[in-house]
Amino acid sequence: MKKINSRKLIIVTFLVLPVIHLLVFAYIPIITNVLLSLTDYRGVGVPKYIGLKNYKRLVTDPQYIMLFKNCLWYMLVAIPQLIFAFILAVFVNGKFRGLNLFKGILIIPYLLNGVIVSTIFIIFFNNSGTLNTILKAIGLEGLQRQWLQSLKLVNPSIASISIWRYYGLNFIMFFGALQTIPSELFEAAAVDGCKKLQEILYISIPQIRKVLFINILLSVSGSIQVYEIPFIMMNGSNGTTTPVIQIQQSAFEDNRMGLAAALSIMVFVIVVIAVGLQSLVSKKGDD
Amino acid sequence: MIWESKLYKVSRYIFLTAACIFVIIPIIPLVFMALKTGAEYSSTSVLTPPKNWLNTYNFKYAIKVGKLGKALLNTAILLTISLTLQIVFTSMVSYVLHRFDFKGKKIVMTLFTLTMFIPVVTTQTVVFQIIYRMRLVNKMASVILLYSGVGIVGIYIMLNLLSSISKELDESALIDGASYFRIFRSIIFPLLRPACTTMLILNGIGYYNDFFIPNLYLRKDVQTFTVALYKFFGNTATPFEIVAAAILLGIVPIGIAYLLLQRYIFYGLAGAIKS
Repeated sequence: MKKINSRKLIIVTFLVLPVIHLLVFAYIPIITNVLLSLTDYRGVGVPKYIGLKNYKRLVTDPQYIMLFKNCLWYMLVAIPQLIFAFILAVFVNGKFRGLNLFKGILIIPYLLNGVIVSTIFIIFFNNSGTLNTILKAIGLEGLQRQWLQSLKLVNPSIASISIWRYYGLNFIMFFGALQTIPSELFEAAAVDGCKKLQEILYISIPQIRKVLFINILLSVSGSIQVYEIPFIMMNGSNGTTTPVIQIQQSAFEDNRMGLAAALSIMVFVIVVIAVGLQSLVSKKGDD
Repeated sequence: MIWESKLYKVSRYIFLTAACIFVIIPIIPLVFMALKTGAEYSSTSVLTPPKNWLNTYNFKYAIKVGKLGKALLNTAILLTISLTLQIVFTSMVSYVLHRFDFKGKKIVMTLFTLTMFIPVVTTQTVVFQIIYRMRLVNKMASVILLYSGVGIVGIYIMLNLLSSISKELDESALIDGASYFRIFRSIIFPLLRPACTTMLILNGIGYYNDFFIPNLYLRKDVQTFTVALYKFFGNTATPFEIVAAAILLGIVPIGIAYLLLQRYIFYGLAGAIKS
């Protein structure tokens, strides 16, 4: 009898705080946001139900459509980012001199925080910054641009920073996946006179297909949540605002809680789709 | 051993060297800038090396004006408390979820799992109201509270390890009259150390680098290191070579941690992602 009670006691005491934390800081807020998104709440007074008006506004007003268009740039740069990370992982997967040095250098960007990365790339994209200086030095003055002032170039420029900042994560994931491929597969291929490129196309890629797909989805859910770089570098100016920057602005500066909630829910839905597909893929590969 | 042609080996070195250049080139001007004097900075190109490689003026100035020492101390306190709480709570939750069967276990597990669908950025406007009503805004407790929640990645890492810890250990201790709490404290928790290390590294880096949460909740007196750097960066009155020095100082703690923990970081990350 005593044992049963002490069992119950430990289960309850060990779970109670973390579960309350979970409810208060994740579930209640997201449910509240769903409800708020259907109102015109402005931070004070009683929220008035206005149906889907907030959502309608977000998908029709150009000011808000732009937010999602900006995210597309971040998704687009994920393509070269993933290719680069994959090639790196293939090359690093092996035994050779300098392996640890290369690995050590290649992981640096992933360890730096948003403020550091932003400063580095302010210097990089400035008019007399690193990029323009290099272009001039190699005789390509014609390609010099005002990367951060030009309304056309600013979004692709700062989106491309993601390549530098995040390829490390993809690289580590690909590398981890490649290491799980049994080496007999490669040995058999080598015996059959298989070229390295064929090996990659017919063994490596199919074997890590799952991880590849997970990385793509990771980029999608990351792109919709972009915040730090455009906020720190540009403060969202020059048309670089993203959904998350707008959520904060609407909620904390304009007091449009209803609209901020609707935008939060839109981001949430996109993340749910991406992460849902992702866990579906991870489960499927297990059998 | 996998056979590699000479061409392959050569192209590997070429590609990897190019990749390292791609990584390092944007960082070089930052280092140069931090070592230049104000006059030198405005008169030379970003890729011109500094005249005096041992110019420490900018660093001293940055530390003094930016109150970086205090901010670093704040970050250290914040990380120590949050990570300790988080690791202890995560191991408690994982222990119960792994070793006991009880009504509602599935629900609890599902609740934890589904949090991966709820990114922090989509709930912060409401969470801010909650923290505000708790009167914790601009207090370190706000960030500690948010950071010490139990995450699903941590639970997975711990559950993985728990399945390799024999249940007979628990049972024989139980027969010897030990309480469940005692079993957790003296047997399970010490054996979970590798998982704790992984979590410490992963979340330590994540929290050290986090900007979103501390920038939202700690706007006044208490600043974390990252927010202090941001304030420095955002202040247009600060000469840019000083900003560069401050930023470079921001890399130092991460650099030291990285050099000490290099092996763990790489495989910790890879392992955490796999599980």
